[in-house]
Amino acid sequence: MPLKTVASCDVKRLEILSADGRLDKKLMPKVSNALLLTMYRLMFQIRKFDERAVLLQRSGRLGTYPMITGQEATQCVPPLCLQPSDWVVPTYRGGGVYFARGMSMRYALLYWAGDDRGTRFPEGNNDMIFSIPVGTHLTQVAGLAWGQAFKGQGGVALTYCGDGTSSKGDLHEALTFAGQFKLPAIYIIENNGWAISVPRSRQAASPTLAQKAWGYGVAGIQVDGNDALAVYAATASAVARARKGGGPTLIECETYRMGHHTTADDATRYRNEKDVETWRRKDPLARMRTFLTARALWDAAKEAALAEQTRTWIDVEVKAYEEHPAPNPLNMFADNYATAPRALIEQRAELEELLKFKGGARILTELPAAEGRFP
Amino acid sequence: MTIASKPAATQVLNLVSAVNQALDQALAKDSRVMLLGEDVGRNGGVFRATEGLWAKYGERRVVDTPLAEIGIMGSAIGLAVSGMRPVAEIQFDGFLPSVFDQVVCHLGRIRSRSRGRLSVPLVLRAPHGGLIHAPEHHSESPEAYFCHTPGIKVVIPSTPYDAKGLLLAAIEDPDPVVFFEPKLLYRSAKGEVPTGYYTLEIGKARVVKEGRDLTLLTWGAMTVTCERAAERLEREDGASIEIIDLRTLTPLDIDAVLGSVEKTGRCVIAHEAPNTGSWAAELSALIGERALLKLLAPVARVGGWDIRMPLFRLEPYYIPDADRIVLAARKTLNF
Repeated sequence: MPLKTVASCDVKRLEILSADGRLDKKLMPKVSNALLLTMYRLMFQIRKFDERAVLLQRSGRLGTYPMITGQEATQCVPPLCLQPSDWVVPTYRGGGVYFARGMSMRYALLYWAGDDRGTRFPEGNNDMIFSIPVGTHLTQVAGLAWGQAFKGQGGVALTYCGDGTSSKGDLHEALTFAGQFKLPAIYIIENNGWAISVPRSRQAASPTLAQKAWGYGVAGIQVDGNDALAVYAATASAVARARKGGGPTLIECETYRMGHHTTADDATRYRNEKDVETWRRKDPLARMRTFLTARALWDAAKEAALAEQTRTWIDVEVKAYEEHPAPNPLNMFADNYATAPRALIEQRAELEELLKFKGGARILTELPAAEGRFP
Repeated sequence: MTIASKPAATQVLNLVSAVNQALDQALAKDSRVMLLGEDVGRNGGVFRATEGLWAKYGERRVVDTPLAEIGIMGSAIGLAVSGMRPVAEIQFDGFLPSVFDQVVCHLGRIRSRSRGRLSVPLVLRAPHGGLIHAPEHHSESPEAYFCHTPGIKVVIPSTPYDAKGLLLAAIEDPDPVVFFEPKLLYRSAKGEVPTGYYTLEIGKARVVKEGRDLTLLTWGAMTVTCERAAERLEREDGASIEIIDLRTLTPLDIDAVLGSVEKTGRCVIAHEAPNTGSWAAELSALIGERALLKLLAPVARVGGWDIRMPLFRLEPYYIPDADRIVLAARKTLNF
């Protein structure tokens, strides 16, 4: 018998706004001017926030911090296609996602300062804390989407992982479930080129990560992840399909990690500055600014005003973060169970005893009040 | 007649350099040895444990793998069964749980299931423990999960000398060895290390200091904390404290444990993991079973609380410090 082709995959790449700000009008999604300006404002503000966070870390005022610079479009735009009731699970490099969901960034700083009180997301949002062991959330997101399907109100779940994480078995199982149960899930692979020091080329041997979708009966597309309009169009269409019961989508956003892996890393050890320069010319903010300016939606005065407003906002957030009182050590015993078991009641008392041993009898009244639910 | 021998050449190294030197010498000595893990190649490991080895031995033997812990663990098992001597690195202790399926269901069972025909001579290296202000899931102490698993050995040095000698022994060992490296000590622990190749026997504890009144039984970075606690107890309480650094958790040096506890009659076990179901719990049970009538006080355990490791602002209140060990030791001494 002659060999027959029984399946093939046709991987498309979506680009709408080129690196120099030229627009493919045929592909332009329906987006209001107000939304275009929101995209730019979010990307601008989170970049400035990122820069300040690095400065705080470098001056010993913050712990290890994962920068998002270069990935603003991939992070800030997809949340704009969602409702607060849709589930969102970013990665640890997800400051832009949380910001676009309305998170008060003083808490993001608090988290990266090693304070458990930093995982505070806006009330009413279905935002979940990212997972630090990468990819372990991906099957959970299949479950979140499954739950949305049970509710039957058109809700979806959207999540992210990196190009490195796409090598983990977690994505395989997540897409297997999402495809099999036709779940309203959107998986964004934020391909920023690097898993710490290991380049994208050393992950899957396949030419794209988007094509993984075909193995699971999931829709897949590759997108220029530095093109906010393309990211928006791809996400909006995936969300719309998912809401109507059309099943999951895998979106590979090709972007670039402009900074180190985190402030604890030194990318100059393993990558070429020329490659970074190439990507600097594909900057997501610059091309959006060119585009908005050409549409007469933006000018130097507006840019200056936004910069000023952003500086003030960041100052307020940093001040609020730094004025947060130190946590009471007893906090760690709160909220481990709905009702604390006896062992924890005993151990908390033991910690109180230790605190008195360290700081004298008055220490318990001098510490800030314990927070959280206990027992 | 005495044979004149040149004193062995030594140099002062920190713990991570001792690990690096061991890996270097193992790669040089045995062509079956290879390293695999995330960022172990060009970047030299996130703690620089494999610094320089990729350039020296090439990317076929010092392998930057895709980001996939099960892939690292499972392929290391396959490589070992096929005759290689893989040294796999899992980048952080908190990323170890994903490899448990391979560890629990396969790593320690292949020798037995093949009735001795196959073996898995691999080393699984991972940084261990907290107190370096790291993000979440980067400060864990998962040794008990591994000690609970039959067929594997679990080693955790606390000095550069032990790190090098035990790592080389682990690489030579015919069975799988999980090798924990206390990350707090990577750069802070310094000591004389022979420059040449040497091995130390796996399964032997180290007497850090001798004493008469109480045994501090410990491992990993907590060894250093115990030394601080012992100084205070000797100065402030006039007690004579013995410290035993287990170095190997399984197979356990039970003779060293019982020998010390039977001498002092009092024992405090200090470690970083939550007490419930911990390796300290196993030690306490063994001491109770085998040395009950020599005990002058109940065996005390000082460990993490039975809650998850908090973010780093509160880690000094989670991981036992010298104060907690002193408190427990005083209660034991005054029982």
